[in-house]
Amino acid sequence: MKLNVDGLLVYFPYDYIYPEQFSYMLELKHALDAKGHCLLEMPSGTGKTTTLLSLIVAYMKAHPLDLTKLVYCSRTVPEIEKVMEELRKLMNYYEKEMGMEQNILGLALSSRKNLCIHPSVSKEREGKVVDGRCYGLTASFVRARHAGDDAVPVCNFYEGFDAHGKEFPLPPGVYNLDDLKEYGQAKGWCPYFLARYTITHANIVVYSYHYLLDPKIAEVVSKEISKTSVVVFDEAHNIDNVCIDSMSVKITKRLLDKCSNSIQILETTISNMKENDNRRLEKEYQRLVEGLRDANIARETDMALVNPVLPSEILEEAVPGTIRTAEHFVAFLKRVVEYIKTRLRVQHVVQESPAGFLRDIHIKVCIDRKPLRFTAERLSSLIRTLEISDLTDFSPLVTVSHFATLVSTYTKGFTIIIEPFEDRAPTVSNPILYFSCLDSSIAIKPVFNRFQTVVITSGTLSPLDMYPKILDFHPVIMTSFTMTLARPCILPMIVSKGNDQVAMSSRYETREDTAVIRNYGNLLVEVAAAVPDGIVCFFTSYLYLETIVSSWYDQGIIDQLQRHKLLFIETQDAAETSLALINYIKACDNGRGAVLLSVARGKVSEGIDFDHHLGRAVLMFGIPYVYTQSRILRARLEYLRDQFQIRENDFLTFDAMRHAAQCLGRCMRGKTDYGIMILADKRFSRADKRSKLPKWIQEHLKDTNCNLSTEECVQISKRWLRQMAQPFSREDQLGISLLTLEQLQSEEMQKKIQQRAQAA
Amino acid sequence: MDGNDQTCPKCKTTKYRNPAMILMVNACGHALCESCVELLFAKGSGACPECKCALRRQNFRIQLFEDPAVDKEVDIRKRILKEFNKRQEDFSTLREYNDYLEEVENIIFNLVFDVDSTNTNKMIDNYKKENKDITMKNRNRQSQEEIELEELLEAEKAQQSEKANSYVNAELEEKKQKHKAREKLIDELMFSDADAKSIVASHVQATAALAKEQPKAAAQAGGPVVKSSKFSSGIQIGLRQNTSSFLPIPKQQDLPLFHYSAPVFDYNGPSPPAIEVLGKLKYFANIRAANATERAGGYTEALSCCRALQEAMGGLFYIPQSGHKTAVAASAEETDDMETA
Repeated sequence: MKLNVDGLLVYFPYDYIYPEQFSYMLELKHALDAKGHCLLEMPSGTGKTTTLLSLIVAYMKAHPLDLTKLVYCSRTVPEIEKVMEELRKLMNYYEKEMGMEQNILGLALSSRKNLCIHPSVSKEREGKVVDGRCYGLTASFVRARHAGDDAVPVCNFYEGFDAHGKEFPLPPGVYNLDDLKEYGQAKGWCPYFLARYTITHANIVVYSYHYLLDPKIAEVVSKEISKTSVVVFDEAHNIDNVCIDSMSVKITKRLLDKCSNSIQILETTISNMKENDNRRLEKEYQRLVEGLRDANIARETDMALVNPVLPSEILEEAVPGTIRTAEHFVAFLKRVVEYIKTRLRVQHVVQESPAGFLRDIHIKVCIDRKPLRFTAERLSSLIRTLEISDLTDFSPLVTVSHFATLVSTYTKGFTIIIEPFEDRAPTVSNPILYFSCLDSSIAIKPVFNRFQTVVITSGTLSPLDMYPKILDFHPVIMTSFTMTLARPCILPMIVSKGNDQVAMSSRYETREDTAVIRNYGNLLVEVAAAVPDGIVCFFTSYLYLETIVSSWYDQGIIDQLQRHKLLFIETQDAAETSLALINYIKACDNGRGAVLLSVARGKVSEGIDFDHHLGRAVLMFGIPYVYTQSRILRARLEYLRDQFQIRENDFLTFDAMRHAAQCLGRCMRGKTDYGIMILADKRFSRADKRSKLPKWIQEHLKDTNCNLSTEECVQISKRWLRQMAQPFSREDQLGISLLTLEQLQSEEMQKKIQQRAQAA
Repeated sequence: MDGNDQTCPKCKTTKYRNPAMILMVNACGHALCESCVELLFAKGSGACPECKCALRRQNFRIQLFEDPAVDKEVDIRKRILKEFNKRQEDFSTLREYNDYLEEVENIIFNLVFDVDSTNTNKMIDNYKKENKDITMKNRNRQSQEEIELEELLEAEKAQQSEKANSYVNAELEEKKQKHKAREKLIDELMFSDADAKSIVASHVQATAALAKEQPKAAAQAGGPVVKSSKFSSGIQIGLRQNTSSFLPIPKQQDLPLFHYSAPVFDYNGPSPPAIEVLGKLKYFANIRAANATERAGGYTEALSCCRALQEAMGGLFYIPQSGHKTAVAASAEETDDMETA
């Protein structure tokens, strides 16, 4: 249908629209008009992706000068594919309505592993290996050698792309990963490099967060995206953690040992080269004397090693004399590695700031800050000069060089923690150096600064006001939309006590209490008896899951449970878990019914949907707080408190509640779906926890359902399930939660939308 | 445990078998365990069992790094950098500084790997001679970078103590307030005649209002004031070790030689006769001649006569320009206005 959103003609590829989708479009349009950032929360299963795409595409068509590109960031490859499908639907609708080909090019980008079509390289399983082998076939020096000697293998697809691909741009259309591969096969061009090359002139780019947030990758891939773009981060409730991970480095003893080996390889290669062919080293040296940058341009295939974010003025400067020649640099690396080794030989935990580290390294091994800053860049230059084609061995050394560069570049927002052993196994020595980023705004700051509009959206972003604080930006629009429903199809309940009136809680003090564990067990058994098909349970940690299951086994609760449903457990092993999931789905499909025990923050809680019969009830046993004793977390909390005035408890509760909400949202994937949400902890009924749940859950969480015992909970569920089991058709929804064009344009509806806009 | 594979090359003891074993290194960069050192160097000096170079016992140090070669290199580096301590400020361009750095690096490299040692040593000696004063000066001075780091650390420390104090205080305050509120409630319930429900209700309201206020106050207090380490004029508070106790001696050879040129005076009048010709022109006729004691001090009658003449003739032709005068007058008026206003 064709919509009029605040004066903008939007083509929407479906015949019906949800009212909240229309409101979402309105807010998004305002943000685009204002050229500012926005933060939008809309429940999962209400068609965020379609809404976003149709509005932004319409806006691009209407204002081709103001908005040139859409960069859509998603988390996983399946999600990327979903977005491409929606986009294809939209483009088909445009074609049908306008009756001609659309001049819009949309494509997905993923790693080499997912895009490679080279017959042998694409068989590799690990991403790093594929990257390394690709580099070995496409690096500029390999190709130069191939020109002189045909025996040196190169990648024919890359050669094809290099010869012709750049002159003939990709014709307009929508290309997902498979389409790109197909196109590449047909033309004989490498799809990966084709996609990367095409990014600069495509209208819509869909890729993973890391291509924009990880400074090491963003530098190469996303540098040339123009300012007049809109960037969308979908499923962004964990975006702060992604930012932090992309800037943090972890160094173990084993990694350092591997570094020493790679340094030895470097040494021998250099001495060999000195004897045979000194010219290349000379040339590199001359280049370094002049400055790093100028000779570095336009070598796209040599991207395997790149520098972490550096203020660009440093890159313009010449490399300091201490590390200019190859031998000196290798000796320098050796000193750095040996120094870190001595630091790892501690007996107790050390925490220090980058400034302290820099001073210590200067005193101990006479290394100044400036050459440290150039380490990453210098190493990549050296590896290029030495023409080392197998990069996989060097990744530990690259990690250390990134660490060196980061530690000397940033003095604020980072901390160094050296732990001689893990907290859980204090007798086993396993020293690890964490260089941990405390400030999530560092990694995302360039994105906010560079692009005119950044949209952060997810199903669960509550409490909204936390994100601007921790990401340090000022959104022009910050809204949470609820789901309009024709029937109360979610039933959130807080169960605080068992039938014996003993309070249920996962508090540390009562964790081991058998009464609490038994009550949890009884709750699950009774719910399993009352609820049909699938039930998903979330625990706060793997450890807690294991202790509870073992005591349930002793108390005979497992036996009772298996009378009603089959039991599956998520473990830390990914393969095991996916097997459990497959069988869980099988058991639900054939009507036997199943219970899945899993962990909040685990793989199941993020990104696996339990729609319809796969998840009729979700149980959250306890509040999923993070492991608060971790020193990295402590340091981050402290930093948040000092820099952003966020209290420790506020952040911990925020983090716990967003994960709880994420778990609860698993069972609700659309308006025809229905599910019970049970929060089994006394503490959930407190105002500070309850108010942090997303609005669409809070709306249905009545005061009468906030302090229930197991018995009451089961009674309410039974009544509700009977109500939900009644036939439900589209006609019931029409006019309330599903609108036709006429209904949308009716005066009454417009008034409602106005009201909602004001309320938000 | 890491370093279990460490072995003494002489007696083949390993860290695994004898956890108390300590490896030591000397100038040549070869490791020896502590007991071997005691045994071999009982006399105070001897030869390294690996490279046969003469070593002193006092120079043995505990091995810091896993690779003894690095120990050796760091050792040499520290020694060399003590001499070669020029800073970027000592060079006119960055390029020259980088060249210098590379040269230093070369020297260290040569010493570590014993390449061309006679030439290198000669170079070091030359350098020492040539740059004695700069070296001495720089020894007492920290580089800009080091100062920056020190300042950062200082600020961090100040911030930390400040923070710790403020949070402890805030918590105490909060506790006190809670306690007070509760006591007040109980007192009121005990002694007042009003309805108990209304008292409780008002109490709840008051605590809610307080709770609302608290985060605000915390936010205000949250931004800890960094103790400033500078006066507003930019001068450091307190003595810093890095500023050497006396001022550096200004470089002399750089300045051009002083040339005297007679000053030209503008008298705005006829030029008075020069001091030499005063006698000839008989000016002294009307002046008291200088007596013997005055002459002894270097005074002659010509001096005072000359000065009197200069004063008499100076400014004779001076005609104040009209524009200039009005400007002065105007400005005077202005100041008057200002005063009245």
